[in-house]
Amino acid sequence: MLDGSFSTVGVIAIVLMFISLVILLGPIFARGFGAFVFKGTVEYRKLMLDKFGRGDRERIIAEVAGAAKTREPVYELMEQFRVELKEKDYDYRSRYGQPFKELEELVEDLFGPAPGSSMPVLVRGQYGQTRWDRANVKLGNILFIEEYDYSDSSKMGELVLVPRADLFAGTSLEPLFRLLESDIEKMMRPRTTVYWRFLFDGSYDSHFFGGIWPELLGTFYLAIGAMLFAVPLGVITAIYLAEYAGDSRFVSLLRTCISSLAGVPSIVFGLFGLAFFINAIHVSPSKSVLAGSFTLALLVLPTVIRASEEAIKAVPRSYKEGAMSLGAGKWRTVVTVILPAALPGILTSIIISLGRAAGETAPIIFTAAVSVGKPLALWETMSQPTPALPWNIYNLATEHEAVDEIRHVQYGMVVTLIVLVLLLNITAIVLRARISKKLRG
Amino acid sequence: MNNDIGELRKPEIRGPDRSPDRTGSIITAKDFSVYYWKKAAVSEVSFDIPARQVTAIIGPSGCGKSTFLRAINRMNDLIPGCTTSGLLSLGGQDLYSSKVDVVSLRKMVGMVFQKPNPFPKSIFDNVAYGPRIHGARDRGALSNIVRRSLERAALWDEVKGRLSDNALGLSGGQQQRLCIARAIAVEPKILLMDEPASALDPQSTSRIEDLIGELRREYTIVIVTHNMQQAARVSDMTAFFYEGDLIEFGETTQIFTNPTEKRTEDYITGRFG
Amino acid sequence: MPDVIKTADSERLRDGLLMSKGALRMQSVGALAGRSILIAIASSSLIAILFIFYFIIRDALPFFQIEGIREFLTSTRWYPSREEAEFGALAIFFGSALVTLGAVVVAVPMGVLAALCLSDILPFSIRQVVKPVIEMLAAIPSVVYGFFALVVFAPLMQERGGSMLAAGAWIIFAPLAVLATAVLSDLLSSRLDGKARLVSQIVSVALVGGLFLAGLLRMHGFLVGLTIVSGTNALNVSIILGIMALPTIVSVSEDALNAVGRDLREGSYALGATRAETLLRVVVPAARSGIMAAVILGVMRAIGETMVVWMASGNAARIPGPWFNFLEPIRTLTATIAGDMGEADHVTGSARYHVLFVMALCLLMFAFISNLASEIILRRARKRGSV
Repeated sequence: MLDGSFSTVGVIAIVLMFISLVILLGPIFARGFGAFVFKGTVEYRKLMLDKFGRGDRERIIAEVAGAAKTREPVYELMEQFRVELKEKDYDYRSRYGQPFKELEELVEDLFGPAPGSSMPVLVRGQYGQTRWDRANVKLGNILFIEEYDYSDSSKMGELVLVPRADLFAGTSLEPLFRLLESDIEKMMRPRTTVYWRFLFDGSYDSHFFGGIWPELLGTFYLAIGAMLFAVPLGVITAIYLAEYAGDSRFVSLLRTCISSLAGVPSIVFGLFGLAFFINAIHVSPSKSVLAGSFTLALLVLPTVIRASEEAIKAVPRSYKEGAMSLGAGKWRTVVTVILPAALPGILTSIIISLGRAAGETAPIIFTAAVSVGKPLALWETMSQPTPALPWNIYNLATEHEAVDEIRHVQYGMVVTLIVLVLLLNITAIVLRARISKKLRG
Repeated sequence: MNNDIGELRKPEIRGPDRSPDRTGSIITAKDFSVYYWKKAAVSEVSFDIPARQVTAIIGPSGCGKSTFLRAINRMNDLIPGCTTSGLLSLGGQDLYSSKVDVVSLRKMVGMVFQKPNPFPKSIFDNVAYGPRIHGARDRGALSNIVRRSLERAALWDEVKGRLSDNALGLSGGQQQRLCIARAIAVEPKILLMDEPASALDPQSTSRIEDLIGELRREYTIVIVTHNMQQAARVSDMTAFFYEGDLIEFGETTQIFTNPTEKRTEDYITGRFG
Repeated sequence: MPDVIKTADSERLRDGLLMSKGALRMQSVGALAGRSILIAIASSSLIAILFIFYFIIRDALPFFQIEGIREFLTSTRWYPSREEAEFGALAIFFGSALVTLGAVVVAVPMGVLAALCLSDILPFSIRQVVKPVIEMLAAIPSVVYGFFALVVFAPLMQERGGSMLAAGAWIIFAPLAVLATAVLSDLLSSRLDGKARLVSQIVSVALVGGLFLAGLLRMHGFLVGLTIVSGTNALNVSIILGIMALPTIVSVSEDALNAVGRDLREGSYALGATRAETLLRVVVPAARSGIMAAVILGVMRAIGETMVVWMASGNAARIPGPWFNFLEPIRTLTATIAGDMGEADHVTGSARYHVLFVMALCLLMFAFISNLASEIILRRARKRGSV
């Protein structure tokens, strides 16, 4: 009885772990997929044609014209009401003036600027909703007003949807809502769209449109830059620890330092990077990829050292003896025999550290990351800050002016980052499995 | 060369070759001791190992025979806490003098280990490893060396078509012969063999033994073994070690037929060990 | 073949062995230089640690000169950007402590149980599947956890908080209750024999189990009735931090459990102990220090984590009332550093800038000391194990 329940509890703990992984990744993958594959409206195709020059020009222009035609009745109804407003008395105007203005804005939000009106400066204002799911949300906003019902004082206000049509009941505008509801598909023309270029497009109007290439590239720069510094340092340290160091006091101090470094909170690395690399030795005038890479390199250094040391220690002694017996010096032995034999293991550690460096946010906040930026050329990394996936996920999810409007971009970034990191880790796991198979066999 | 080796059996006990040109000694130990952290693993042994003969060192495990062998090319240097005293000389030169270049010493004294230990590289690179370390770069010269070494190790015919294959894909016996080829590729004067056949099956063992018989024409061979039949089969001289002491050293025929020491006799007849 | 080792021959041999004085010196100089370079490079982590301490302390000290330390440690009023700035960080320290406590409550029982399961209960093939899952949990970047906490978890908690909490409580406490029932009934009736034992077991299971069931049901009622004002609160963060600390705790304690030799286990089985008895009385006590170290490392992971707490803790610098109210927003050290530095680094040199370094110093000291502690514990355990 005790035995059985004990095992059960243990199994439940593990199942819970599985569940948390699924709960964590499930919604992220499901919604992140939507950044790449979604129903794009005619506005999307117009945007792609205007900004990226993609698509069949003739066909898209024809399609836009077709959509505009179906939208005409809407604008006619509104124009008619506008005239009506002017003609009616003050009471009427004060009753419908404000709600109508609101409605006009909502319609512009859905369809983009009305024909004949002036073009807004911001790109987001120049187009209607490019995604069918967002268009439906906007349509919902037109059709219904969200109100909170506070009649039950013991509870928090309850959300109630009031049809906007009620507001305009009896006016010439009333048919507009039915028209919108029934013809929205014709007006927006949703079509399933695969936007794989999400990864490689720059963003327009702070991520309202376009892709995440600057962030992706910045992440590559930072992670690879970090490894450029961490790998030589880490592998050489590992060689020293595994092959040269004895059991002296210095070596045990060194080991303590390495494990301490591994325990330093990542935000402290960030502050240190700011205080040292930027403010003290001025590797760059302000934030830069270089400073961020240095900081990240320190962060992953202990991981690289430990894993590489293990890999080197796993190399059979006999290889070393063989090389030595042929007259190879110690360093020669290390370089020509031990390192090649340990290479898969070292590679595993590098891959895992690469994933770690790519996903860290706190160390780059003060040293490398900016919210908006262009993709950098290689030489610019020495002095320029960059957007990076982890930082921009934070930034878009908390500080962006329209957090709710660009959920799909946030999810897209998160999925990209996760896939990147997990791919690296899976590679490492597979590599390690092959090594251990080889060592066993 | 390869095809007839398998069938060619050496006589059970082969007497030392007494031709006059084989009598000079090449390695001399005089009161030579090896310590691990002050504990003597080999204590004050004195004997001369003759050139171009096969000298077998036998004895029960832990008797210091491997330690002595590894002292000859200073492989013990790798072990922390290992020190020596007394004299061990090669061609009259004290090997533990500070002036000795360990790299040159190891070039001159090749070694084959108990377990075949080819590097996880191609067959070619394994054999070429030593020459490359000692400065050979020319591809043509290297392939000559590789070919000659593999031929002398009686492996050429088996691997000539797949020199670029990974050496770990060879069988155990082939791997060990590859290790021998690797050792002789640097043109050593002496070959040390630390139980070279103990990890191999009987057939591979006999091929290795045959190979030793071939190689003794050109090299001084010191072989450690705990297989007494093997010692008797392949060696000219035999040294018997027991608990760090050299008990008896003499011609193999004499040691195996008429040992002077009681302990030697007991060991050889299987009373202990 | 001219085979004699003549004198000339042996001289050649000797010459081959020897090195000239020059070469000898070159070699020793080269070896020394190589070794020095190697040591210099290997010392990079030592230098890094020293530099980190130096530069954090250097920028932390001015704060003590400008503001002193009293207010920092005793006041809960955190208004660094006001004209009359106040730097009371007590609530922030409290916030860090609270979420860490929460994370420990979530992660330690689950982590240790999972580790036990992995080391002693599950067959090898399942272990091979579970390990990658743990590795994936560890590999997911913290900002992703933070994003999940903020965008998925917080709204869910806000809308269906009560029932979600209740479900969670059932998942966690029901198995624990079953286990506790089993253990207690076993203990209660361990003295008895034969039929009396059976009866006593049944009675005690019914009694204890009923007690637990009643407790659980009450808790259920209480939780379902809860309304959660904001989804970004200490509970949200604690749960996520707990999940993040899990991989560390599982892998370190599994190592510790595996290090307990098989002979100890077999000895226990040989004495007729069941698996559960063996685990509880022999294996876990033997691995005690390793598990302890695992918990310390897990705590370090939770307290040093930035992104999750920054995004999903609500960032309110006050002590919840009552103090254990996990449903209120809190603010932690790490989130304060991350959040305030953006504004403070324009005013380099001000107390506002330096106070963040004081916080970083506190984090650093804590991490350093915990790390030393875990290392000492592990080292001692290893020594004991080897004796």
